[in-house]
Amino acid sequence: MSKTNGKIRIGFYICHCGTNIAGTVDVQKVVDYASTLPNVVVSKHYKYMCSDPGQEMIQKDIKEQELNRVVVAACSPFLHERTFRNATSQAGLNQFYFQMVNTREQNAWVHLDPEASTDKAMDLVRSAISRVVFHKPLEQKTVPIKPDVLVVGGGIAGIHASLTLANAGKKVYLVERVPTIGGHMAMFDKTFPTLDCAACILTPKMSAVKNHPNITMWTYSEVEKVEGYVGNFKVKVKRKPRYIIDDLCVGCLDCIEACVYKEPRFHDEFNQGLSKRKPVYMPFPQATPQLVVIDPETCIWFKTGKCKQTCVESCERKAVDLNQQATYKEIEVGTIIVATGFKPFDASKVYYYGYGTYPNVYTALEVERLINASGPTSGEVIMRDGSTPKSIAIVHCVGSRDKNTNLWCSRVCCLYSLKLAHLLKEHTHADIYNFYIDIRTPGKLMDEFYTRMAEEGVKFIRGRVADIYPDTSDEEHRRLVVKAEDTLIREIIKVPVDMVVLSTGLVPRDDANDVRRLFNITCSTEGFFIERHPKLAPVNTFTDGIFLAGCCQGPKDIPDTVAQAGAAAAEALALIDLGYIELEPNTAFIVEEECSGCKSCVPLCPYSAISYNEEKKKANINEALCKGCGTCVASCPSGSIKQNLFEDEEIYSEIDGILNYNIYEEAVCC
Amino acid sequence: MIVELDAIRGVSLDTIYDSPEGKLIQTCIQCGTCSGSCPYGEYMEYPPRRIIKLLQHGLIEKAFDTDSMLKCVNCYACMMKCPREIHLTEVLLQLVKEQTVIKLPVVPAELQKALENNYRYGNPMGESGRKRANWVQTTTVPIRILSQNPEPVDVLWFVESYPAFHPRGQDTCRAIAKILNALGIDFAILGNEEKSAGECGLLSWESGLAEALVDYNMAIFSKYKFNRIITSDPHALDAFNFRYKMYGFKGSITHIVPFIMEHIDKLKPMIHKTLGYSVTYHDSCCLGRHNGYYEEPRALLKSIPGIKLIEMVHNRINTLCCGGGGGGMWLDTYFKSQNMERLSDRRIREAIDTGADVLAVACPYEIPRFEDALKVAGYDKKMVVKDIMELVSEAMEE
Repeated sequence: MSKTNGKIRIGFYICHCGTNIAGTVDVQKVVDYASTLPNVVVSKHYKYMCSDPGQEMIQKDIKEQELNRVVVAACSPFLHERTFRNATSQAGLNQFYFQMVNTREQNAWVHLDPEASTDKAMDLVRSAISRVVFHKPLEQKTVPIKPDVLVVGGGIAGIHASLTLANAGKKVYLVERVPTIGGHMAMFDKTFPTLDCAACILTPKMSAVKNHPNITMWTYSEVEKVEGYVGNFKVKVKRKPRYIIDDLCVGCLDCIEACVYKEPRFHDEFNQGLSKRKPVYMPFPQATPQLVVIDPETCIWFKTGKCKQTCVESCERKAVDLNQQATYKEIEVGTIIVATGFKPFDASKVYYYGYGTYPNVYTALEVERLINASGPTSGEVIMRDGSTPKSIAIVHCVGSRDKNTNLWCSRVCCLYSLKLAHLLKEHTHADIYNFYIDIRTPGKLMDEFYTRMAEEGVKFIRGRVADIYPDTSDEEHRRLVVKAEDTLIREIIKVPVDMVVLSTGLVPRDDANDVRRLFNITCSTEGFFIERHPKLAPVNTFTDGIFLAGCCQGPKDIPDTVAQAGAAAAEALALIDLGYIELEPNTAFIVEEECSGCKSCVPLCPYSAISYNEEKKKANINEALCKGCGTCVASCPSGSIKQNLFEDEEIYSEIDGILNYNIYEEAVCC
Repeated sequence: MIVELDAIRGVSLDTIYDSPEGKLIQTCIQCGTCSGSCPYGEYMEYPPRRIIKLLQHGLIEKAFDTDSMLKCVNCYACMMKCPREIHLTEVLLQLVKEQTVIKLPVVPAELQKALENNYRYGNPMGESGRKRANWVQTTTVPIRILSQNPEPVDVLWFVESYPAFHPRGQDTCRAIAKILNALGIDFAILGNEEKSAGECGLLSWESGLAEALVDYNMAIFSKYKFNRIITSDPHALDAFNFRYKMYGFKGSITHIVPFIMEHIDKLKPMIHKTLGYSVTYHDSCCLGRHNGYYEEPRALLKSIPGIKLIEMVHNRINTLCCGGGGGGMWLDTYFKSQNMERLSDRRIREAIDTGADVLAVACPYEIPRFEDALKVAGYDKKMVVKDIMELVSEAMEE
């Protein structure tokens, strides 16, 4: 005869987690205590409950001791709830007869007093044991996943993720804010440590994106609104007016020639302002798509309403449309990859380095443009004053590792500084001085690159630059003095140079917080988006179905960015190819016989999951849409809405348990 | 940025490593920004970076065998640029400097004399304390002296020693008195009861001299009722804001420049005269770097019609010290004997390079230091050194 005889039989287990829990919580005491609680027939502790032997122990007890409830006190349910639910269900018990107690993150890790911590563990355990009695067997529902993917950001991360997904046959929407894809990588000259030409390796990928039948590329566009959840996101995209009809423009550039501004005179974003552009412009020769754009901020027609509109006249294909308005696209996707990138640190914030004051102080990104063959000087290093430098200081760690600006090391600056040292030397034969705190060159072939630069005669001075000022002994005051302590020679040195290059760190984009809210993801105080787990879920976010790639998650180099983009694409594919997602059965349901049909719940539901059945005069909840927020449950005047996993008796018994109200002696199995 | 007083109250070199400040010192990455920022870094055997390393390794005694820290002029340059926000000037270097002075075979005579004078007469120049308020007789506006009329007053003006005794300081005092009077401020001074706040004689907060002056001035303050203190000396501002608070001072202290800026709307209609000067402004270390008043002095200068403001190469957080702080005011002879460049000479060349007519300052040490440096520089174009208050007063003339 069955031992249960209609009785509740609870198995309780507490995990040591090595010393993570057992180092603080007296697990033997908790086990002894739990064994005295009603309905508990098994009470054990074990070194690692999540290990195979730990799970097998639960399964063996379920079978031999005929357990019908399981409680495990271990880490956060976030980590191992699924593990123990699986173990429970594999032993033939409904997985929702399992309840987890977090006694690590919310107890052992945050308390120092072992006695109080043990008491707290016992309270939490009593609460769970009290609650689990009322659990019911539930089934998980599944919903299909929409196979299309949204990729936000058209830098190398977004490009690589889009191509990976598109090549796997998935439809991708790639949304980019500026008029061309390519991101920062398109601005670089060569890439470390192999010195491949950035354009040579990037532009084929850019045109592959443009021409891929599975990719819809929307440049000059922004995501305005995101609704829904994993598998079923509804996204609204704003396509800003380019004032050019995409389908008609062939990129002939006649309109630029015809512009009433005969000379380019506005800040050229792509060249970091080192050259000028007209209000109608092509961002750069390999811009993708090859469409010009009219900037309403600088175009005289938009500013004054008066212009001969020579651009309109010049276009034989009638592609210029100054009346173009923004359009909005609504798409449905199952997964989203956020690859919104970074911005370089604003060097003027380190006031004493003179950026913006002395013309021959440059940022690293400006120098990338200066040495690029398609840059403002066609690759000749000609400075703002028209001269070519004979000596150059490269200042490391600008804005990085500094409590006054940013605490973090941006990881790429040492290596790009070495690369710029090589390229500048190649272009100018100048003497190059690298002022550094620590040279950080981890990664494949990176330290070999450092050695090579040393062999090329680049000078390294260990000391953070303290001051940069004009050299008064130079008649024209063009030359700059770079002052630092050479900490290895132990002397204060003043090095006169013609050019200073500031190796600025990587910082989050200004609107990171808005983007975070838009996609319901999280970001750290500095503004980089947070991955679900730094080691084991590096491209996931805390929102299912939304993944991260590239520098929006933290500074990284191109190889790591591409690897991460590939990983994000793979994570999206894994969801798409499964075809469905399992939903937690914590949905609400109507007890029809008690529903009075007052309709008060209908407008309250944030997910529009409740409808009203006119025929029955009752409310109805769509389980696929219900997210289990509980709003309707709490609001129902007749108490006729219940929620799975959170029924009144479950919650009340949990509360009674933690308050140690001994309300039940024996419960009868339902 | 400024250190939490509770974190360092009572710390000594022996205990600093276990204090919250010690935790910061442990995070030093030895980047050398401090030594590179130090105006005298090249003359120190143990510049700030090496001092920190010595402390980390328990070898700080080595630093006392040299005069390195005697050369620290309390300019806050190292502290403000430190990427680890170590409070070098406020804490560590002070403690090392104190021990350095104690262990020096001979204390430089000029410094010794200034310290003694401060102790005996309450001012570093050794003037009689009974003459401290004499300058009041040279003004045309009424100035209330609290000992004569102890009624409660809104603003207590702490005059300090250089303004009270130095002829050029007295010029500033007369200008301030005129401005305060014109603005209708209810103000008074302590007169002969006042003694030096002690900042510049204070090489460390542990010194008996410092405590004697702090105790004295605190006792005088407790005699009278006033709402706030103002001063034209950024060093006194620093003393009250920082050191005195460690001894329980709870009053409100404001430098004259931000104080006047509070009343700028009332002041503007009183400015009648256009001053056709080109002016360059020298940021005092204490007023600018340590207390963050970079823009107020410039705004006050710009409120005077006709003034054209030109910046020196080093300005704001990157200002160059005049060399007068941390006892430097009385170490010029010693520094010269060490073949060290006088910092006011270095700074005056930058001022001259601007081509300005006037070098404007907001610290009483700077007028004599820069006037002296101008003579040494042999500048043929006429440049004058003026306190901002003198310029404001001049512009108020009919």
